Amino acid sequence: MQAFDYKYQQLDPVKSFKRVPGPEQYVPGHRTCAGCGPALNYRLVAKAAGKDTILIGPTGCMYVANASYLCTPYAVSWIHAQITNAGAVASGIEAAFKVAMRKGRHAGPFPNIIVMAGDGGSVDIGLQAMSGMMYRNHKVLFICYDNESYANTGIQTSPMTPYGAATTFTPPGKEIPEGKTLFPKNAPQLVIGGHPAVKYVATTTIAHPLDLMNKVRKALSQPGPTFLHMLAPCPKGWLFDEKMTREMARLAVETGMWSMYEWENGVYKYTNVPKKYKPVNEYMQHQGRFAHLKPEHIAKMQAFVDEKIKQVQQAIPVAAPVPGAKQ
Amino acid sequence: MAKAKMLTGCRAAAEGAKAAEVEVICSYPIRPYTAIMMELAKMVANGELNAEFVHGEGEHAQLSVVLGACAAGARAYTGSSGVGVTYAMEIYSPMAGGRYPVQMTIADRTLDPPGDFGSEHTDAMCTRDNGWLLGWACSPQEVYDNTLISYRVGEDHRVMLPQMVCQDGYFISHIPDKVTLGEQSQVKEFLPPYRPIGPLSLTHPVSHGPQIRPDQGAPMDAMRAEVFLTVPKVIEEATADFNRIFGRNYDPFVEQYKLEDAEIAFFIQGAHANTARAAVDRLRKQGVKAGMARLRWVRPWPTHQLAAALGHVKAVGVVETSTSYGGAMRGGNLIHELRASLYDLDERPLVTSFMGGLGGETIWPADFDNIAKVLTQAVKEKKVRNYVQWLGM
Repeated sequence: MQAFDYKYQQLDPVKSFKRVPGPEQYVPGHRTCAGCGPALNYRLVAKAAGKDTILIGPTGCMYVANASYLCTPYAVSWIHAQITNAGAVASGIEAAFKVAMRKGRHAGPFPNIIVMAGDGGSVDIGLQAMSGMMYRNHKVLFICYDNESYANTGIQTSPMTPYGAATTFTPPGKEIPEGKTLFPKNAPQLVIGGHPAVKYVATTTIAHPLDLMNKVRKALSQPGPTFLHMLAPCPKGWLFDEKMTREMARLAVETGMWSMYEWENGVYKYTNVPKKYKPVNEYMQHQGRFAHLKPEHIAKMQAFVDEKIKQVQQAIPVAAPVPGAKQ
Repeated sequence: MAKAKMLTGCRAAAEGAKAAEVEVICSYPIRPYTAIMMELAKMVANGELNAEFVHGEGEHAQLSVVLGACAAGARAYTGSSGVGVTYAMEIYSPMAGGRYPVQMTIADRTLDPPGDFGSEHTDAMCTRDNGWLLGWACSPQEVYDNTLISYRVGEDHRVMLPQMVCQDGYFISHIPDKVTLGEQSQVKEFLPPYRPIGPLSLTHPVSHGPQIRPDQGAPMDAMRAEVFLTVPKVIEEATADFNRIFGRNYDPFVEQYKLEDAEIAFFIQGAHANTARAAVDRLRKQGVKAGMARLRWVRPWPTHQLAAALGHVKAVGVVETSTSYGGAMRGGNLIHELRASLYDLDERPLVTSFMGGLGGETIWPADFDNIAKVLTQAVKEKKVRNYVQWLGM
């Protein structure tokens, strides 16, 4: 594999909220829903990455509700990609900048190239292009902002939609009382499992802004492809009170529905691991998409999460730092 | 002038791309165009060409990679054949609508089913309504030349459109013929470096491809239609410059072979024109006043040039090398556009069509003799008996 030998940016970790970079790169001009998790996610990512950045926005909520002609909210260069091909478009941009630097047309720094894809654009219809990009060792950060459905088209199921969720393609009914019967894909494992060029993979949520921004900065400081999986709750799709967006992400971690970890050079490092996990229903009960479920369905979800937690506990080689109250 | 070499159409395309100093190339294997990428891969590996050679994971990715590269300011190049061309279908429209002047070489191949390596123009013809420049070469020399002419036209700031440079699979792509490659100084004089408009940049942030409201759509479509009114002028300028610098003699839009006094004419695009030319010569020896019009560009369609070239002929036989099942003339597509081009003439030729070369079959000299017979009969009867006849059944 050819090494990436262009001068690229090194972004130091942000130590505290007071030291978060001031300038916003994702600015007013969008028309997302009240309490939109992905919009908050976008803002944090863009802020962490800074001005020397190019964003690739495949079709999804963050295209349709963000990128209105003549008033897009991006203070840095941004390009629309199809929902199918963000990884490939990003690959082409990266290749073009390599040539431009070789020929002296672009003095540097090598841009932070970031794909902001929804779950469909990452691991469903966008999976092939994302995998190709990861395999080919392009220096691109691919972010999956996961709102667990095809939300902008009216909340249809995606491979990241949890078991038991009602969506407009998985309505609960007499024959299919749970609504969604399948369990979701494991997005980060799809990347880790099959792409030897990948340098760094991590998960985070919008309820952990410092952690999120530092994972972005760490990913961008790698000389190759990286992947971040971010939980971005969606009030409209999950049917919860829009003021509880961050609360939903926090509860997802506290119940084990979502795990926070980094994967670097084959080693997992888990953080924010609760001493005692809350029952999944403490997360599910706030969300209308689960309102139709019967106790046996919730038990099935609990069993799924218990199994996941077991894997987390087995994978912790050393005592991971327990987060402070603010994180 | 440089000495002619024996090169295939694939090699000629690769030499054209090299001469154009393409900067990002995206490949995916499918016969027969693959040989172009094999040649380019060698050129990059040997350091003859300073380009990024990206292995796309499919044709959809090929088009997406070169879209991204072009948006970031690089001269980008890709290609495909057959079902590869159609697999990438989603990206043709964003490419043209985004005004990214990438180039894609197509060595034609039939679409499935059944699996068939043969040449047929249906693959590229499927894309003709997506806003690309589209045209066919009829020799490896013309492949090389069209590569340079197309980049020049597509990257002109009055145009800024992607180009599909087509050649028949095997007949052109794999049969060596004499090709004179340009000198570096000629290429430099003819083709300026790519100057992108508003590329993705760190110093001048831009947004490419935002979402519009429905009422903003029509003006944008009208703007693209208007660009196509300008393209013919740019093609004329570029072809004239090319002829002057490289010592060629292309008609910008339609090769006109012995049409001045022709009573019947073949209308054709691509490789089989070489057989048609020979057929014209033979028919003339037999006293039949035959001629040939060969289409060099399908998009933009040379409406007025065709009316001027063919208006005086008594009957035209359109040789269709692609299919349009259920279309108005029940066969191919070229006849629709040719008939429309001639419609406003006070006196217009009779026009019928012949399905030939499908599945990659050769169109033989005898087929052209048969076409001439049908056309002569139509002239005598002052009408065509059929919209379409199938050759080689």
